[in-house]
This record gives sequence, C-alpha cells and structure tokens, in this order.
Amino acid sequence: MDKEKNKEGGVDRLINQTTSRREFLKMGGKGAAGAVLTVSLVSFLSSCTTTGLGAGKKRVWATASGAVIHSTARCSGCRRCETNCTMSNDGKAHPYIARVKIGRNLNFGKKGPTAAYWMNDGQIGNLKIDGETCHQCADPYCGNACPVGAIGVDPSTKARVVDEAKCIGCGACERACPWGMATLDPEAKKSKKCLLCNGDPQCARYCPNGAIKFLPWAEAVKLYQAHGQDHI
Amino acid sequence: MGSMTGWTGKVLRVNLSTGAITTVDTGKYVNYIGGQGLGYKVIFDEVAPGTDAFDPANKIIFSVGPLTGTGAVCSGRTTVTTCSPLNPYSAVADSHFGGYWGSELKYAGWDAVIVEGKAATPVWIRIEDDKVTIESARRLWGKGTFDTQAEIASIMGKEAHVACIGPAGENLVPASFIRTGQSHHGGGHGGVLGSKNLKAIGIKGTQSVKIASNAAEWNKVLRENLAVIGANNQHVVPNSPQPWAEYTAATRWTAAPGRFWGAAEPPVETGTCDPKDLNSIGFRTLKSVFDLGPLAEKYTVRMGGCSSCPIRCHSELKIPALEKFGYSPYVASTCVGFSGPGAVMLKGSKDVVEKDDGPLMAKALGAQITNDLGVWCNYSQIAKDFDYAYNSGIIKKVLSPEEYTAMRFDLLEAKDVSFLTYFYEAIAFKKGEFSHMADGIAILAKRWNFGDDYWNTKKYSVWSKMGYPKHHSNETDAQVGTLISIVKNRDAQNHSHMNFIGSGLPLAKQREIAAEIWGNADAIDEPLNYTPITKAKIKFAKWSLVKLALHDSLTLCNWMWPMTVSPLKERNYRGNLGLESQYYSLATGTKKTEAELDFDAERVLHLHRALTMLQMNSKDMRKDHDALPSWIFNPKGGFVKGSDYMDRADMELSMDMFYEELGWDKATGAVTRATLLKFGMADVAAALDKKGLLLG
Repeated sequence: MDKEKNKEGGVDRLINQTTSRREFLKMGGKGAAGAVLTVSLVSFLSSCTTTGLGAGKKRVWATASGAVIHSTARCSGCRRCETNCTMSNDGKAHPYIARVKIGRNLNFGKKGPTAAYWMNDGQIGNLKIDGETCHQCADPYCGNACPVGAIGVDPSTKARVVDEAKCIGCGACERACPWGMATLDPEAKKSKKCLLCNGDPQCARYCPNGAIKFLPWAEAVKLYQAHGQDHI
Repeated sequence: MGSMTGWTGKVLRVNLSTGAITTVDTGKYVNYIGGQGLGYKVIFDEVAPGTDAFDPANKIIFSVGPLTGTGAVCSGRTTVTTCSPLNPYSAVADSHFGGYWGSELKYAGWDAVIVEGKAATPVWIRIEDDKVTIESARRLWGKGTFDTQAEIASIMGKEAHVACIGPAGENLVPASFIRTGQSHHGGGHGGVLGSKNLKAIGIKGTQSVKIASNAAEWNKVLRENLAVIGANNQHVVPNSPQPWAEYTAATRWTAAPGRFWGAAEPPVETGTCDPKDLNSIGFRTLKSVFDLGPLAEKYTVRMGGCSSCPIRCHSELKIPALEKFGYSPYVASTCVGFSGPGAVMLKGSKDVVEKDDGPLMAKALGAQITNDLGVWCNYSQIAKDFDYAYNSGIIKKVLSPEEYTAMRFDLLEAKDVSFLTYFYEAIAFKKGEFSHMADGIAILAKRWNFGDDYWNTKKYSVWSKMGYPKHHSNETDAQVGTLISIVKNRDAQNHSHMNFIGSGLPLAKQREIAAEIWGNADAIDEPLNYTPITKAKIKFAKWSLVKLALHDSLTLCNWMWPMTVSPLKERNYRGNLGLESQYYSLATGTKKTEAELDFDAERVLHLHRALTMLQMNSKDMRKDHDALPSWIFNPKGGFVKGSDYMDRADMELSMDMFYEELGWDKATGAVTRATLLKFGMADVAAALDKKGLLLG
C-alpha cells in the first residue's frame, strides 16, 4: 500500500486493513529499530487494540490476509500436512516443528489421556481429531514476546513470520503462544511458525481430504469464534 | 553414524536380561535396505538356528527403513521380525503394522530396535529421542492394549506412540499380535514380547528425517506419486460410474456421490473423487461399506489409516450397540481385522439393532474384543480351525463337560454375537483347554489330532505344514499366487500381484501392461480360466516377491505399492514403477535405478531362503518347505474353466522354472553358492556350507 492511499483512507483503514508494520512505523516517524509505538500514539488511534499495553509501549500489526483452518469432520489423520509443511519450508520431514499440529492430539485429543479416554477426543477415544493451526492473531503473542523483533509481517500475506537471521532461538514465542503453535526447532535452534507459504499454504494445497483450508482472515475468525475462541 | 540421510544411522539394542542399552551403526545393514532386510540380517547374525520362539535367546526386531517418516506416500509401516511361535521350526517371520509408531521411531532418531533377552519382571521400554530407559510394567501387566496405550501416554505425554501386547501376548498365545494406536496390529509375534516380559515400547521423537536432496526435487517425485495413485490396493477404476471414469469394476474405489461418512459431524460426502483432485484422494476408499456392507455407512465417523498415507483404508465407526457388550462404541479396523474375528460365528449372527445387522455386529464386536485383548485371527484361520474342531465333534471330546458348558456354545447355536466374548476371553486369558484354539495350525492340529481331511479340504484353506493359511494364492492368481505362497514362513500377505490384477482395468488393458513389464501378455490369465505356466508368469511371481521385500524394507505399504497402474486415461493407465528408487535416491543420496534397488530387495529374499534352510536344517526345500496342499489340485488333472484348480504336473514344472529364475537349485529350491556370491553374501554361503547345506 502506498503512502498516498494511506493518507486518503485515514487511520482506521491504515490499521484495520493491510498496512505492514514497517510501513506503519515509517508513518509514525519511527525507524525500523524502534519496533514499538508509544502509548500516546496508540491512544490516539482509537480503533486499535487497547490490551496488553504492558511497559507503556504497543506494537501494531497489520491484519493477516488469511489463516489456515482445520476441519475435524474431514480430517483423516494422515499427517501429510505436517511433512508437506516442513519438507517445503525446511527441507526435511519434521512433524515436531510443523506449523500445523495434527499428531500431538491425534490419539488422546488436546487434553491427553484421562481415565475416561475412550469417551474423550482422539483416535483412541471418540475418534475426534483435534487439529491445531496458527491463528495469525491480530495481536500476536509470539511477535509481542520476541525480545529481538524477529517476528514480523510478511509483505505479501501479512502472515506473522520469523526472520531466521534475527531469531536467537530463545523460545519466548513458543512459551507465549496460548495455542502452542510457534515451535523452537531443536535442530536449527530457530523458531518455526506458520508463514502461509507465500499465500499458498502447502498443508492445505495437498491435504488429501480437503480438511485444511486457507481462508480470508475474517472468515477464519468467524470459524474460530464458532468454536468458542472469542479472543481473536 | 549420524551423517546418514533417509536412515537415521542408528539402531537401538536393548538387552532385557542385563539391562544394557547400546547403539549399532545402521550402515552395517544398508545392503539389506532396512525394515525386513535388517530384521532378517539380525536374526541371521545373532540367533542360532533351532532357537525356540519363546526362548530368551530369540530376538525381536522392530525396524523401519530409509523412507519411513519422510513423507513419501504410504511410508508409515513397521516391520517386526522374529522366530515365529506359529511355525513348527520357529522359523523367521515378519509381521507388520501401520499407524504412526514407525515414523515416530525415526523422529526419535532410530532405524530399528533390537530387543533381546528376557526381563526378570514385566517391563516396558521408554524411548524419548536419545534417552532410552527400561521401566517397570508391574501396573500395566494384565491390561488391554487400549488401557496400556493410555497409561503410557499419560506418563510420556499425549504425543507418545505405543506398541504393546494385550493379555494374549502376555499369556504366550501363539496367535497374538502387537498393537499400536486405534486400529493397527502386526500378527503372530505378541507372544514373543510376552516371553520377554516386555509389555510395550513407547516412543516420543522431536527430531527430523533428513533427505540428501532438496525440497524441490523431492516434491516433484511426490507430485508424480499423487498423480498415479489410486484407491486402496491401488485400484484405479471406480466401483460405480463416475463422470471422469471410462470403466467401472468391483473395486475398493467405493466413493460416490450420495455415499457418506455418515457419522461425521456434519456428515461428509465422499463424492466423485476425480483423480486430478488432490484434495479428495482420502475419500476414494469408503472401506466401511466395502468390508461391512451398506449398513455401515451411517456408523462411519471417518476413514483412517497410517502416517503419510493419503489412502484411508481403516474404517473408524461409532456403533452405540457395542456398549451393550461392555465395549466402547468407537471401533476401528480394516478388512480381515473385521471379518476374521467375526467369522467365529459359525452358525451366523442374529439381528442386534436392526434387520440383518448381525454380520456387521459380529465383525465390529469381534474386532473390538480382539483389538483390546491382543488375539490375532491368523488371517481368518482361527475361525476355520474352530469350524473344523467344533463341527467334527473334537471340541466336545477335548473339553471337560464343565468347560464345555462354560464356553456357552449355546450362544453360538443361538447366533448370539455375545458368544465372541467367551471365545476370545478364554483364549487371551489362557482359560482351559479351549485356549489352545489360538495355537495356530501346526501345534493345534497335533494337539487335537486333526484328521487328514483338515489338511486336504479346501474349506479349511490350510496352505502349508509350516502352519499358515492361504492368502491371495491359487484362488486369485493361478500359478503366480501359488508360487508366492510357498516361500515365506507365514501367510504370503503379498499384494504386488493382487493390486495389479484387482486394479479394475479390463483384462485386455492389464495384458497390454503385463507384456511391457513381464515380457508377455500371458503373464496373467482370465479370472478362473487358468492356462499352463509361461515364462512371463514366472517373472511376474518373482517380481511380486521382490517388490514385497522392497516395500517391507523401505518401508512402503505393499497394500498400495507398487504403482504399476494409474487411474489416468491420458497416461493410458500406466503407473510408475520407478518411484521407489527415485525416493530412495533423493532420501539417501545413493543413486539407484529401479533395477538396482530391486537387486537389493532380491538379496533380502535370498537371505530369507538361506535363513529358513538353516533353521529347518534342510537343503531340500521343495520337499520340506514348499510342498503344496493337495486341495488346490484337480484330481483329474488339467485346468477347468470356472474353477481355481491347479494341475499338478504344471505346478511341478512351474516350481522348476521359478527356482531357476531365482537362482535357486532347480531340484530342491535351495539357494545356491553362485547366487549368494552374486549378491555379495559370502557370509551367508559360509554359514550354509558349515552346516552342509550349500549346493554348488
């Protein structure tokens, strides 16, 4: 988005639509190294998120173009998405760091095994598969937690992406994500999180059951909310 | 070690007698590929011929291969190799399970686990990446397979994958299995784990499987693979007319508009599944309806299967009526995993919930009980053995009157499926004389003094004195099926030939393709219109065995591989037989053509032969091992249209030609010195020579 359009569209448009973090910071008069906005500026931007102001500074994120969504009804648990993800993005088969998480809940659901495991989620339970995908949060826990500003916004998809050159492998993002999606690669010592594969997520493209979809963000949010996740 | 790709480079060795946990370099086994080849080599190197299956000196090897866990299509299988308790010589046999355990083993950094010795008290093995420990199984012993998996996952974490035995394995039932996940088991080896006091192996891995090549090259092969793949058993023609399809045939491509995963929430339509639609491959096989009939559709939650496999051949069902019998309503299995356990209802099964649902309920309940208790149906043989023993009056003779009453055969007679609980619990908990029902053909027939009619009647389908039943033998593919059935020490479980002849393509098309691969269209006969042996049939039989060894070693699923044909008219239905070697080359960095990799797989086959000769102390395999059952032959000689009869003279000639093609001695079927040396197996030749078993 060019600056002229931003001016014409006003601040709301600037925040809620597609401006990248870098562009926004330029407009706010901050250099790339700043990576934060002052509270006063955030207060001025009334439609901006007002939570998590913490140390008095707030970073503002362009909304992602979309998010990857998993359908438990259609999923058959083959986990091809996990190896498609890491083979395409990391050149190896590595489900542990896959940006879409099917395997970890496969047998016993999100809760893990309980005494009533056979009635609870999972293949060894009621057969329900609790797949998890990155929400590309409006206000991403991973990005906000990163101490070195290594998580930014992809210029084309607006996905929250890791700049591996900057990432120091501290795992702050992994600890911050409420859904456990960002994962520290124990081999590369870098954070791995969903980067939307330049707008063509490989997990979705090759899902043999069409159980993973890449949806526009607003639709994805509706689906998350339909599953009781109102935080988005 | 450590620098390999494809393979992890490390084999884990756990000695349960001493508690020693050590590592072996995988490089030692690379000539044998991995999986089955690795398993055979360990038995050859380390287990003395004549070792009883339940002797602590026997070893059991859980092995995967260079493609397992890479994301190669259908690469989720594990091969389990040991001296078999079902074989009268405790000869080597491999069983296999799918699921996620094998891939997880790779992700933990291991190509195989060799278990040796015997623990003093029950234990389980815990593998978390490089950290391996032997844990007490005191609290797990006696539990079913599902409770065991839940208990271990509650200790290791929900991501853990567990392979375990149920009470049947603990009680040394020869026909018992090793289970992982909801619906996967490898038959026949559960008792070996029990004999070692080993309840389970749990794995959690955080590592990667690396490939020598790059993602672009790898994904190119993957896309080609997804282009040529069909439905289950590589059936490439749909079961009902579809807008994209030229042909229709009685295949496992059972998806269709109006056919649903009926118990999914919301129900999911399987649909037309155009072969070019990569996002509906997983719907092609609606196996629940194929295995259990149309009533199963409404119970189908989904189709499941193994890691990395887009073809979902396991039916996952919610059948509320199972709770009446004390079991979870959620049951999953496939094919003989349903039909085998249910076939015990010799007199039929009466309705449970609705009209004519008895057979479905018998299969579902039978699967559920055996899944939990760990009893293996021995590829349906247990029901045939029961049929013989029950209907011939033997059971009445060998059981005490009290035991006979307690077995509730009245329920069997009343067609009440709850009989299945009595049947399988007696076996798994080793209750009384009846429990020997699961001793397997060789031991049971001797114990209960079965007559010649048992061995010689087609109905009981006993293939061999080696103690195994027919499995895609003469009834499906004439001489080819017969020849592939004589080699192993258990049922043949070969699908290289079955996938091809069952693909659904018209016979003329199949013959066209057969001529390209095996040199002549006469490699295949019209179903049940058999003709004399030909050179192309011999080549087809050898090819089928070599491909099976290849797949069980790489590991790829032989219920899908090889990709001989495709569903694509524009390719004239040709598949791609080079895919295995392309994956192998990219993964390991060692470039091999299809022929070169098949050569390695053939080595595995020769090792199996030599090992069996050593274990049987025989160099006349034709007589001692490969003897054919009498019931396959036409008493009048010749072939009869509409019958699966074989001709004895033709079959003797077939065996001559088959042995020659394999480089085995024409008269005896013994693997020769020249062949072993050709394959670089001087150590194997020396071992045979030492025992006076080497010809040539």
